[in-house]
Amino acid sequence: MFSLLYGLWEYVSRKEELRVLIIGLDKSGKTTLLEKIKGLFGDTPGLEPHAILPTVGLNVGRLEAFQAQLLLWDLGGAPGLRSIWDKYYADSHALLFVVDASQPARLEEARCELERALASRELFGAPLLVLANKTDLAPEGGAGSSARLGLERLEGRASRVQPASALSGAGVREGLQWLVEQVRRSDRAALLQQRATRA
Amino acid sequence: MGLWVSRLLSIFGEKEARILVLGLDNAGKTTILYRLQVGEVVSTIPTIGFNVETVTYKNIKFQVWDLGGQTSIRPYWRCYYPNTQAIIYVVDSSDTERIGTSAEEFHAILDEEELKDALILVYANKQDLPGALDDAAVAEGLGLSSIKSRDWAIFKTSAIKGDGLFEGLDWLSNMLKTRRR
Repeated sequence: MFSLLYGLWEYVSRKEELRVLIIGLDKSGKTTLLEKIKGLFGDTPGLEPHAILPTVGLNVGRLEAFQAQLLLWDLGGAPGLRSIWDKYYADSHALLFVVDASQPARLEEARCELERALASRELFGAPLLVLANKTDLAPEGGAGSSARLGLERLEGRASRVQPASALSGAGVREGLQWLVEQVRRSDRAALLQQRATRA
Repeated sequence: MGLWVSRLLSIFGEKEARILVLGLDNAGKTTILYRLQVGEVVSTIPTIGFNVETVTYKNIKFQVWDLGGQTSIRPYWRCYYPNTQAIIYVVDSSDTERIGTSAEEFHAILDEEELKDALILVYANKQDLPGALDDAAVAEGLGLSSIKSRDWAIFKTSAIKGDGLFEGLDWLSNMLKTRRR
């Protein structure tokens, strides 16, 4: 009887785990963002921005935010390592694509990589948040990225561009909250569950 | 009170971390160990048993264990697993034939309960040799992307030339520092 009640309690109090994949070009600020998020929601401060090295692999963040257990994957963005990104698609609930909004010259390269990612069947239905980062350097940087990244042509996928600064934290909380809400609203979690039971 | 004393000590004192260097035989583990410790290429023979040295870098004392990599002695690796903070897994990037075997040993390590919190640093070694796989190819060959719940990093290294080794230690010391806070 006790175990039955305990099982029920576990069931109602359990929090879903949402896995968010953070990708984007090198130097766009993905790890700074991850560490900022850790600082905002975790119980330990994240790494100071000056201590952050270019990522050559995976950084993992685990924290609780907006009544969800979040698992964040931050992958290195150097050209040679982008081939690793797609290995994480199938397990991700949502995609967070970071763009350096102060570098318009690299927007085309970013668009190209984003398009390639979104073309993957493994990411079908996964909500997309584009973080137009470094608005502390380019205040107007977020505006217009939407069109230039080709987001207006996206159909069947929740997507949004969030101007933000991973350095100051401006826009980070809003963006993440939107993403978590979109995952809840989408069929993505059900789809992943389905795939998991089939495998 | 005791807590504060130990915190103070941890601020001023050197920290020690236990690191295991693993990988197939002839991957270059011993050469890497001594390159890190004395900064020179020493001539080595196949390790039967282990070499252990202390390497101090960026105020962290690394107690580095280099374990012999031959097939017959790989089962003894596990004796060294408890209290290990990080694994440096060394791959001979030019030995494309044995990358599959290396991947098998690597995944056996990842599955170890005693190592589930250990950081994973991969050295794609012997980059000086012609035909060496690059970091992305070694990552693919090892199946690094199946790691989803802990941090990992891969560096192209040449123990002979000394390339990449300290970049890897930079990463390691960075990660170890954040974990201790």
